[in-house]
Order: sequence, then C-alpha cells, then structure tokens
Amino acid sequence: MGSLRVSVRNRASRNRFAALAATTALVVGLTAACGSGGGSGSASADSGTIHVLVYGDAGNTVEKQIVDTFNKTSKVKAVLDTIPGADYQSKLNTIINTPQAPDIFFNWGGGSIAPYVKDNLLLPLDSMIAKDPGLKNNFLPSVFNTAVIDGHSYGVPMRGTQPVLLFDNKQVLASAGLSAPQTWDDLINDVKVLKAKGLTPIALGGGDQWPTQMWFEYVYDRVAGPGLFEKALAGDKSAWSSADSVKALGMLKQLIDAGAFGSNFDSVKFTDGGSPALLAKGKSAFELMGSWEYSTQQSGNPDFAKNDLGYSAFPSVSGGKGDPNDVVGNTNNFYSVLKKTQHPDAVAAFLKLMYSDEFVKAQLGIGNLPTTTNTANFLATSASPAYSQFQFNLVKAAPSFQLSWDQAYPPAATTTIHTAVQEFFDGKIDTNGFIAQMQSLSNS
Amino acid sequence: MSALSFTTELGRRRLKARRPGVGATRPGFAWAVPATVFFLLFAILPLVLVAVLSFTSWDGITSPHFNGLANWTKLFDDPVMTQSIWLTLVLTVLGVVTQTPISILLGVWAAGHQRNRAVLSAIFFVPLLLSATAVSVLWRALLDPNFGLPGQLPWLFGNGNLLGSQAGSIAVLTFVGMWQFTPLHALLYQGGARAVPQVLYQAAAIDGAGTVRQFFHITLPQLRNTMITSVILMVVGGLTTFDTVLILTQGGPGTDTTVSAYYMYEQGFKNFDFGAGSAIALVLVVVATLISLAVVRISGYDKMRSTAEGI
Repeated sequence: MGSLRVSVRNRASRNRFAALAATTALVVGLTAACGSGGGSGSASADSGTIHVLVYGDAGNTVEKQIVDTFNKTSKVKAVLDTIPGADYQSKLNTIINTPQAPDIFFNWGGGSIAPYVKDNLLLPLDSMIAKDPGLKNNFLPSVFNTAVIDGHSYGVPMRGTQPVLLFDNKQVLASAGLSAPQTWDDLINDVKVLKAKGLTPIALGGGDQWPTQMWFEYVYDRVAGPGLFEKALAGDKSAWSSADSVKALGMLKQLIDAGAFGSNFDSVKFTDGGSPALLAKGKSAFELMGSWEYSTQQSGNPDFAKNDLGYSAFPSVSGGKGDPNDVVGNTNNFYSVLKKTQHPDAVAAFLKLMYSDEFVKAQLGIGNLPTTTNTANFLATSASPAYSQFQFNLVKAAPSFQLSWDQAYPPAATTTIHTAVQEFFDGKIDTNGFIAQMQSLSNS
Repeated sequence: MSALSFTTELGRRRLKARRPGVGATRPGFAWAVPATVFFLLFAILPLVLVAVLSFTSWDGITSPHFNGLANWTKLFDDPVMTQSIWLTLVLTVLGVVTQTPISILLGVWAAGHQRNRAVLSAIFFVPLLLSATAVSVLWRALLDPNFGLPGQLPWLFGNGNLLGSQAGSIAVLTFVGMWQFTPLHALLYQGGARAVPQVLYQAAAIDGAGTVRQFFHITLPQLRNTMITSVILMVVGGLTTFDTVLILTQGGPGTDTTVSAYYMYEQGFKNFDFGAGSAIALVLVVVATLISLAVVRISGYDKMRSTAEGI
C-alpha cells in the first residue's frame, strides 16, 4: 500500500513536471516565433534582390511578365510579392516601416502615399528623372502629376488609367427620343423626360458611397475648375465655403430634387451588381462610373455591353470656370520606391520598363489602358479599340485629371468624405452641413 | 455470506474510486498553467497594450507617441461615439427580444419526437453552417430594392429603401442577426429541453395539465439556466456586432448604424488612428464587462442553482 501511494505521488509530480516543461516549451516557442518574424523575408537586407509589392488580382500576370523580362538581363533580381484583396492599403501600412518592407510598391498616388512622404520613408525620384528624363516625359503629364507631392516626384505610372465617364443605355435614350447630354441643362431636361416615363433616370450605387462622390467631383470641377479642390487639399478651408462651392452644391441639390436618382439609391450598391443591372436592364438611362463599368457590363451583361452601352464625357456647365475637357477619377496606379532600398540603380532600370512597348501591349491585352505616350501606337491591339481610343483621347486632351477626392486626401479623411456626400444626397445635411464636414478634414 | 460481503466491499471500493478528488492528489496549479499563460498572453497582455495605446497617437507607421488624454477628451465630445453606444445597446436588446422567443419555441419543438422532426431541424439549422459574411452578402442581394424581394412586394416594402434610413437599416440588421443566430440558440434550448425529466410531464399530465400549461409551468422554468447562458451569448454577440454591419450597411446611411465595434475598426484600420481606435475598444470592453456582470448578478447565475428542483 505504501509503495502504491509513493508511485502515485511520483506519477503526479512527474505529470506536473511534464506540464511545466510543455508550457515552458510553448512559451519559448511563441516568443521565438515572434522574434524570428523580423529576420525572414527582410527585403533590402538580402544582397542582390529587390522586392516589388503589388495589389494581388488578375492584373498580376503582366507584373509577373515584366519582372521576368527584367530578371533576364539584370544582375540584381526582382521578386514579385502580392497582397491579395481589398485590404492592400491597411496591410501595406503595417509593413511599410518594418524590415519586411518592399523596395518598390504599388499605390494610387496622392493621399495614399502622402503619409509615407511625411514620415520620410519614400525616395524622391527627381535624381532618377534627371538621369533618364524618359521616366517622366514618356507619361501623360496630367497622370504623372498625381504622384508629385510638394514639387517632388514619388511615383511612376503602372497599370491603366480609370477616368470617370457618363455611361448610358442607348436603347432607353433612343426610345425616349433623347441623346447623351452635352450640357448640364440637357442633363436636367433628360432627367425630367425619363422620370415622366416612370424610370429612375440615373442609376446610383449610393450604398457604396464613393459612386455618390463622383457627382461632387465632376460638378465641382465644372463649376469652379480644379483650383477649388486643390486649394482645399492644401489646407485652405475657406475654399469649401466659397460662392462656387455653394453654387455646385445647389446644382447637385437641383438634380437630386428633380428625382434623378430615385428614392432608394442608398440601398443600391455598385459592388454587388445592383446599379449596373439598373442600367443594363433599362430601368435607368445613365450611370456615372469609372471606366471599369465597361468590363463589369461585359462580364455581367455581354449583349448589353456589345450593343447598347454608350459612354460620353461629363456634360459642360455654362458659365462654369472648369474646362469641359477636365476629367476626374483614378489617374493611374503608381510604383513608388522606399528610401532605404539598397539597389537604386536596379530600381531605376526596373521603372524604365513601365514605358516599354512590351509593357504597353501586355496591359492593353488584359483590358488596362496605360498612360504612356507610346500607348497610341498600340490602341488597335486593345480588346475594345473604340473604347480604348475614346478614353485615351479624353485623358490626353484633359488639362486637369483630378484624382478622386477620397484618394487625394490621406486615408484618414475617407470616412468623413463618404459620410458627408451620402448625407447630403439623403437630405440629412444641407449645404452648410456639407461645408462644415469638409472643413473638418485635416489635410495631413 | 462471505462471497456477498466481498462483492459489496468491491462495489464500495469501486464507488470510492469513481468519486473524484478522493484518494488521489488534487490537480495543482501546474494544470492551470497552459490555460493561464494563453489567457495572459492573448487576452490580458493585448488589453494592457490597448489601454496604453489609448493614451498615444499612432498611425501604425512610425512609433506611437503619448498625447495624454487627447483621445479620451475627443471621444467623449464625439457625437458618433455616444450614438454608437446607444446603437450597440439597441441592437443588442432587439437581438435578445427577437431571438429568444423564437429559439425557445423552435428548440423545445426540436426536442420532441414528432414525425419529420429530424429532417426539419436539419433545415432550420442550416444558417448555423454559413459564415456571417456569406449570410450578409446573401441578404444584401435578396433585399436589393430593384431586383430583390422589395421590388416584388412593393405593398410590404414601399420604395424598398430599407438601407437608406436608420430605422430600416436597424430592422435589417436585427432581422439578419435573428436569421443567422436563432439556430444556435435553438440548439441550446433543444439540449436544455431534452434534459427536463419526463416524470415532471407525466405528473403534470396526471394532474390534468395540457401542452400549453406544461410548457409554461415545467419547460420554461426548467430552461432557466439555459436561458441565462443563451442571453449572455446574445448580449456578448450583440455588443460586438461587426461583420453584418461591415457588409450590409458599412455604418451607413451616414453614421446611422455605426456601432461601437465598427467605429473602432473604422478609426483603427480605415483612418489609421490606432490611438482613437484603442480608446473605443477599451470603452467597449468596460461596457461589455459591466453588462455581463449585471446579467450574471441579476439572473443568479453566479450561485449556480440547480433547476432540477422538486425531484
């Protein structure tokens, strides 16, 4: 009996020891795991490689191809890393100032890189451009300027431009005896005619909020020119309460009150296919949307995209200060360079490929519209030549290409802008309320 | 005689051996170490870090620097924050009020032995298998004002602008939450109802009680502890509602459905203001802890009284 008790106690203490040992091992393992995270994947510490970080999606085939081309001749090898999905900006933010940071990264220019410029993380490309002026001259100026901050260039365009266009359903317009509006008054008139026919004149995915913002961007540009927004972005808050701002808001109000968007636009989204369906199924005649509307319709409603999808520039406003050729939207995506890169020469050589013929052809092949000056030579090879030609001419002729407001401001402003545009369209806030919300934005 | 005494002796010994904690050493602190370490590492430590962060200004890029009470004073002057706490409470209460009756009825029904019960229960429990994201995307499409249900049933939905008003959005969030979470709670109640001793029903039947009286006088009182468990789960779930808001309303229209958890995400991961986000997170932790404590205290759950009374 005595020996039994001893053995039980022994077993208990052995178990206790085992548990302690296991726990210790676990804790050590965890801390080790946390510690070792910094070592592996460290980009710029590796000798002879540059890491290129890109938003992960279908467009990566071209980026992969360009990296392969680069690696054929370069001693320093490029490695393509992708962050899949819509959370690119948040994930980039968490690694940008760590050893895992890439050498070159994808971004939207403007506000998306402004915080990094402020924190002194990015390499100004001015000296690279001085050595090879082609890094600037080969791109359309209105696009290239999006990544110029405080007079220094921080990005080289890659992928394609995405201007916002006024899309229409040709069949609906024809049956109402209308055509695409040339002026604001045409648009108001079209809205009245279409409304009388029981249609929702303009499809709007208000639930996404940014489609609503596009209306503000264009009306402000047509009424006041690009200067008003630039002034506001630079920190002059009086721009929002200027007479032009009030006039633009009044015109938007006029459009909303005319019933242009119907009454349930805040329950409709572009992203789940709600507003494109309104246009394709003939329940609406217009939709103001980025150039990706075309590919959205091509995949969702191929017959409609082929036969009845029309597109035009945003109407002009008589008496407005803005040039009717101005466009707004996403100017392009950009490659920016981190200051701490070990291989600036290799980076410069890599960036040169962004205006190569191979790059332009590959981008056109997957439906993107690059903004290099040599793009015009290859437009006929695009998947939809007429549409590509229209956009390219529009962007090339544009004196100003205003980057979307929510991307021109730093990411911290996005929620406030989106809330303000939505509440103004809802009627929850009036002109003064909108002005106050925009004045609350901080530009840095 | 001796054989009999031997078997009883054996039985007694076996009985003794089965009783836990007698004869063997009680498990020491070492047994709790793994769980405790995990809890400290993944719950307490982050909580402390969040508390520290709430006194800093941090964009997630450069190192955080202390800014004193700035986040907190801003938070208490922020109408969106005050509103978000109210919205969170409203959604939580609506969740409890709508989900509890349905899950009790469904759970008690599923505990019975009716024909087709197994098949129908399996169908009722399907939403439990779907992720919150899938559920939200599904309802978003079903509630599209032009091509979804509202377009077909204008007499019920009017112009279909469900997500364009605060009341409509709250109704949608409550309804989708109910559709998604009722099966889980019905499952709890099914288990609880199965555990009610049959003798109680037999005795009640002899006394002449019908199904309805049996339900109110036996089933419901016996389900008390299950109910408390279920309500606490609902309250905690309601206070941390996030995924449905993210996909269905994104806190909109405007900020009309910006609940605290979503507001925290917005400040932290959309506006990159981790200090402000941490302050909201801390408020949420405190409010949720207080409410959970209150529920436990009021319900007497802490005393763990048995429901097997009268047997």
